[in-house]
Amino acid sequence: MGVEQVNVLDGIKSAAREVLKENKAEVILGFTKGTLSNKCTPFFARTSQDINNLVWESGCNLNLAKYLLKTKKKAAIIVKGCDSRSIINLIKEKQIAREEIVIIGAYCPSTEGCPHCHYPDPVIADILISQKSEEIEKDSFNVNNENSLNKEFSTDQKIDYPDIEAFSAIPREQRKDYIYQEVSKCIRCYACRNVCPACYCKECFVEENLPGWLGKTTGIADNMIFHLTRAIHLAGRCVDCGACTRACPAGVNLSILNRKLAKDVKVYFSLETGMDLKEELALNEFRQDDPQPFLIGGGKDG
Amino acid sequence: MDDRKIIAFLCNWCSYAGADLAGISRFQYPPNLRIIRVPCSGRVDPLMIFEALKNADGVLVAGCHPGDCHYTSGNYVARRKFALVKSLLKFIGLEEERVQFDWISAAEGKDFAVTATKVANDVNKLEKWDRWGWSR
Ligand code: SF4
Ligand code: SF4
Ligand code: SF4
Repeated sequence: MGVEQVNVLDGIKSAAREVLKENKAEVILGFTKGTLSNKCTPFFARTSQDINNLVWESGCNLNLAKYLLKTKKKAAIIVKGCDSRSIINLIKEKQIAREEIVIIGAYCPSTEGCPHCHYPDPVIADILISQKSEEIEKDSFNVNNENSLNKEFSTDQKIDYPDIEAFSAIPREQRKDYIYQEVSKCIRCYACRNVCPACYCKECFVEENLPGWLGKTTGIADNMIFHLTRAIHLAGRCVDCGACTRACPAGVNLSILNRKLAKDVKVYFSLETGMDLKEELALNEFRQDDPQPFLIGGGKDG
Repeated sequence: MDDRKIIAFLCNWCSYAGADLAGISRFQYPPNLRIIRVPCSGRVDPLMIFEALKNADGVLVAGCHPGDCHYTSGNYVARRKFALVKSLLKFIGLEEERVQFDWISAAEGKDFAVTATKVANDVNKLEKWDRWGWSR
């Protein structure tokens, strides 16, 4: 990677040293080289020595926000766009406290793997090392509501879901066959759930057994119900980081389920998740005039 | 075709009472519905809809009209979930008629019979449902 990225890494390292030195955090969550080339592994740096091992390159493509949930210590975290959006959601869901964490942000080093990503820049950061776009808000506390409403409409051209449009356009039977085929590969190891920063339930529905909501087989039916339900649990919460797809040992790619729901949340409720600390999550609120296109007769109540 | 099974999740305070009224008033509707009484349409976890489709050919969910929820806001919460569930099921290739939603009050016995008839006729007209590949 070019000179620019080396400079970014230097910037990250010196910010991390500074944070440790000033005792603002006991541990820095970042990435280090993995055992496979081009796959970096999450890394907890506790000393200035450790910080030498940090990397910032295209293999840094898991979502580190997950590890904040397991860190009892005061932590600093190195984020790209998607990690920062997950952090916003975790703060809103009261899983982490804003004042307990230090966010070191940099432009995503791994954009080529995510063709549909619109937010490679950190959305929230205490220390910002690099960014692509000009108008980044250093802290989304500052975003005023009027602006974000206008942004909602103006970003409509920018935020598109070409893959979702394309999938919706193919014949119904083929869509179903595709999903069945994808789902039938699943071995129900739950790696996708385990890496997902939004999947932190103490007892996930898949493990509940009184009542046993979900069958334990890897037949299409049980697999379907698992994936559909997880997709719904992530509606309005998934930041499309792709960690689940990358973690899957069976090559299951169902990101279109999450992306479809993200699109619907935007169209129906004008919300985009993880962009703002103030906005409620889509399924945590309602409006009297929410659309009800699903009703028999298309919503006779208006 | 009349053996198709439809699971109907009806809220205790409105739609279940509406179904009761339909019965008392002797309004006819097809016998395909298996009614499950739930405290509120907000209780209808999407998981219950997906699970129902493992053993039934269609699902109807009905609750109080918006503004009339016994618990004030249960059906408003449900409404956002249902919009997403309906859209997701269509996206993955289910027929729109397979899973349907309606608001039916305790006074709307006639409307309950009309909705039940419509849903049963719709589902009976569809291709046989594979129950998520169960019967493939
Ligand atoms: S569902 Fe997948 S893409 Fe969405 S937040 Fe979780 S890990 Fe990321
Ligand atoms: S799949 Fe649902 S229940 Fe399980 S951890 Fe994720 S959000 Fe929680
Ligand atoms: S990681 Fe892949 S195989 Fe494992 S449960 Fe998730 S989709 Fe299934």
